[in-house]
Amino acid sequence: MWRDASTWAAEALAVFAKEWRCEFRTRYALNTLGLFAFTTLVVVSVSLGPVGVSTSRGTAVLPVLLWVILLFSAAAGLPRAFVQEEETQTATALRLAATPSALFCGKLLYGLTLTFALEILVTPVFVAMTSLDVKSPGLLAAVLAAGGFGLAAGSTLVAAIIAQARSKGTLFSVMAFPVLLPLLLIAVELSRGAVAGDPAGVALLQLLLYDASVTVAGFMLFPVVWNP
Amino acid sequence: MEPLKKLLAGLLWLWMSAVIAGAFLYAPLARGFIGQSSRILFFHVPMAWVSFVAFIAAGIWSLRFLYGGRQPRHDRAAAAAVELGLTFGVLATVTGALWARVMWGAYWNWDPRQTSIVVALLFYGAYLALRSSLEDRDQRARLSAAYAVLGLVVAPFLFFIMPRIMFSLHPQSVINAQGKVEMEPRMVQVLLAGSAGATALFFWIHNLQCRLAALLERNSAPLE
Amino acid sequence: MVTGGIGWVVAVNLIIWTGLFLYLLRLGTRVRDLEKKS
Repeated sequence: MWRDASTWAAEALAVFAKEWRCEFRTRYALNTLGLFAFTTLVVVSVSLGPVGVSTSRGTAVLPVLLWVILLFSAAAGLPRAFVQEEETQTATALRLAATPSALFCGKLLYGLTLTFALEILVTPVFVAMTSLDVKSPGLLAAVLAAGGFGLAAGSTLVAAIIAQARSKGTLFSVMAFPVLLPLLLIAVELSRGAVAGDPAGVALLQLLLYDASVTVAGFMLFPVVWNP
Repeated sequence: MEPLKKLLAGLLWLWMSAVIAGAFLYAPLARGFIGQSSRILFFHVPMAWVSFVAFIAAGIWSLRFLYGGRQPRHDRAAAAAVELGLTFGVLATVTGALWARVMWGAYWNWDPRQTSIVVALLFYGAYLALRSSLEDRDQRARLSAAYAVLGLVVAPFLFFIMPRIMFSLHPQSVINAQGKVEMEPRMVQVLLAGSAGATALFFWIHNLQCRLAALLERNSAPLE
Repeated sequence: MVTGGIGWVVAVNLIIWTGLFLYLLRLGTRVRDLEKKS
């Protein structure tokens, strides 16, 4: 049993490594995401004015903008994990070579690392550019981690579903949005709390619960989605 | 229709008539509400409840499809449930907005419950969009079933957990700070009766839709 | 239009229930016809 588990883990890691290796060959996702996030940041920061924004307005508005940037960046970058396989027709090879759950795990890990990398890049720059005074940075980090996890998990599963359909771009947004919206709304509220210095509440746990549910659903449903 | 079905249908109409009468004549007005506007609750709440039931029903039929032999009738049942759920959900949203206008002066203010129902409607819409973008019948059934099962996870969170979180995080919300309505026993009775009747109505219409879909499919593909 | 009065509640109800009744009538007839045909 342990040997099976270790081969499963090896498979998942192999998929994960392949994703990043391919990514570094073209650096497409990193560039697109990076540019997108940075452009949005510039727009936000410039339009808020040189002196920045008052604390009350800042607490109200800026967390929203941060999560909007993260959401749209994720929507731009994450679907490629599956869409590209179909387009380059490597999907068939994957279907033969990999166990579905290990494949999903590898893709999920890729999505997670991509999202976390995005957050690590964007958040400090965002906070600096908007002169946002975050009173509970630990809580903000926790919310970013939990929210980012949910973004990646939901997006990976939906990406797998739409990869086999037409009009993938719009369909992804249409299908992912209802799944990600509850997550986002709570993350925004918690982020606001983190900026204002409120302590973490049960909402963070419920966010993690949502993340876990979506992830488990993903693992359960992926074999059905992947194999005809 | 066979006599038993006719009897059941008649009973349902009687039940719903009683609910309507009860809503207007039997139940008292809710305290703190403007005039007679609270009466709309007896229709708004059951419809919102049914849209949740539809969500769950679609998810369960989708599970049966995926793991119960990929029978087309389960796929048809799931799709019909989503369509009906969308209809009931739209009705619930509209009645809710009308009531919000009377109570709080604005049709829409992203009250947590309004937000939840809108996200649910978006989910239904996305399901139908997915179906219409897939032409191969087996693929369409399989992929939309997967999405509906994901909905099974999302629905309880949307309808029950998220509103509570948003209420507790937003105590300064001027609109309907508690989100609760004090209810007298008679109101509860009419509400429960209405919800039960609406659920029965849902399954009755759903059954008709499924039979229609099956017949249309058979008539358009007689060689299969 | 929408006041505390009972008018709009009655109107909404009329629309919903009449619509539902007509819809069910049409649906039932259609199903019955198709079932008779096949």
